[in-house]
Amino acid sequence: MNLQILLIAIPLLLAFLSLLLKKQSNNLLLVAGVMNVAFLTIIQKGTTVIGGFQPPFGITLVVDNYSFMALVVLNILFLTTILMSRNSIEEYGSVLLVAMAGLNGMILTGDIFNLFVFLEITSITAYILASKNNNYKNAFHYLVIGTLGSGLFLFGIALLYGMFGTLNMHDLSIRIADVDSAVIVLPTFMIFIGLAVESKLMPFSSWVKGVLGNADDIVAPLIAGSYAATSLFVFGRLFSQVLVIDSSLKILLLTITVVTLVLGEFAAFSKSKIKEILLFSSIGQAGLVATLFVSGLVLPAVLQLINNVFSKVVLFTITGKIAKDTDTDEIAELRGIFADHKIIGVSFTIASLSLLGLPLFFGFYSKINVMFGLFSLNIYLIPALILFSTIIEGAYFIRMLLNLWNTGEEGEKSKLEYKTDKIVSFSKYKKIGVLVISIVIVLMGIFPSLLLDNLYGDKTLLNENNPEYIFEIKGGM
Amino acid sequence: MIQYFSIILMLIGIFGLLIDRNILKLIVSLNVFEIGLNLFIVSIGFVNNGIAPILTANNSSSNLNFVDPLPQALVLTSIVIGLGITSLGLAFARKIYKEYNTFDLNEMGGNN
Repeated sequence: MNLQILLIAIPLLLAFLSLLLKKQSNNLLLVAGVMNVAFLTIIQKGTTVIGGFQPPFGITLVVDNYSFMALVVLNILFLTTILMSRNSIEEYGSVLLVAMAGLNGMILTGDIFNLFVFLEITSITAYILASKNNNYKNAFHYLVIGTLGSGLFLFGIALLYGMFGTLNMHDLSIRIADVDSAVIVLPTFMIFIGLAVESKLMPFSSWVKGVLGNADDIVAPLIAGSYAATSLFVFGRLFSQVLVIDSSLKILLLTITVVTLVLGEFAAFSKSKIKEILLFSSIGQAGLVATLFVSGLVLPAVLQLINNVFSKVVLFTITGKIAKDTDTDEIAELRGIFADHKIIGVSFTIASLSLLGLPLFFGFYSKINVMFGLFSLNIYLIPALILFSTIIEGAYFIRMLLNLWNTGEEGEKSKLEYKTDKIVSFSKYKKIGVLVISIVIVLMGIFPSLLLDNLYGDKTLLNENNPEYIFEIKGGM
Repeated sequence: MIQYFSIILMLIGIFGLLIDRNILKLIVSLNVFEIGLNLFIVSIGFVNNGIAPILTANNSSSNLNFVDPLPQALVLTSIVIGLGITSLGLAFARKIYKEYNTFDLNEMGGNN
């Protein structure tokens, strides 16, 4: 029996139930999170036909290697986030349940219009989450940009339907392969804009600063972790497996993504608040992952994406809590904050160093895959820019870490008396959660094949020439 | 012809989003954009001299010149989603008005 549908149906069912049982909504959320992770251990690869209409006419749910990996990442991220920040969920339990259904649906669906529907469900929950803590003005800004973006996404889908007469992704990919890729430049670009808004690529990411800059310890890790991971996984699905990017359009898209990477890192460098540094670093990383997907390097992109979202969840959870308790996230006012919170500090450091790609951490493995991948395509300018942006990244991360660990002013001898007088109390869930994630980051850095072996049962995935590596989307036909 | 008209409508909506600073007018612009988009999707299914895709006693053969029913089903979904977004936007607008006593983004000031 195929359980794919339950990944969407159970959170949705519990979301309606949670409206009736208001007081229990947070417990229902935990139940749904745990059940989704449990389902992943018994789920089978294959396709499920929904509603009895045979593909390519009906909607299918697809679990292949690619979407299985995405499901594992998404559901583990979601569960750890809600476990770590349980006290901040407040009355948003129902919204998070709908978000869980929508995010799983985006990854699972094999129908491009169904993808739009799930994208809208997910974005509506994202707007509501963004408005948490009276942040209505920035949430409205997000709503306008997000709606315009998904409108253009739908425009692209309508154009594709008009051209090829199908909405099934697998069917679409076969038909697109038959025609000249110059024909689909306009719909491809429209779909790119739609996903770029959600994935935080540069000209379309003006909402990020207002939303993430004021987010607390549940909204920030969700939007920078689960939502970002899902939209980038969908980006990868569409741009590396369904659509064929015309060579002239490819130059334009690569320019957008690489500029996002470099400008994002520069913007992060110029900021003095932890949250703003992290959110611009998120934009930069999204640019990097999108660059890899557009270049056709799926495996390095997925590894880099996993490294980024897990690190960002740790960093944003800690920062969100600090900002909530102290009403500030200025680095200058938080000098030496980690002197009292060694476990939190160590996890924060591991996550930032892994984001930088230092050896011993998972980030090193993903970055070296990125470099090898790009060199194997004989591309040299982009790796140079990636390394250049890593230097900027290193500068601001090391500066931030030094200030957060060391007490006192720069150039003076550090003494414990100079420590900041701001008080933060981390719950034990948070301590355990961030510690576990950072231990996993180190373990995967030392034994990188651990993750891939356990997911696929063999090492063939590491070999790019193996047909297993080409993730397939069977439309069930 | 109707396709050009609907694209013009979409562009009017985007134009409104770009130049207006009033929250309610922004929501109206979003709606104009969505209506243009929905018209465009319906127009994809258009067939010259086509008839409504319903099998009746008079039109009992499936070989007749039916228009494509799928875009109409898609538009139905898209309209419902548009309604949801509009109502959420209006709810935000009300909360913003409570906080700033104005709908004009210029008069709110502050950071962003």
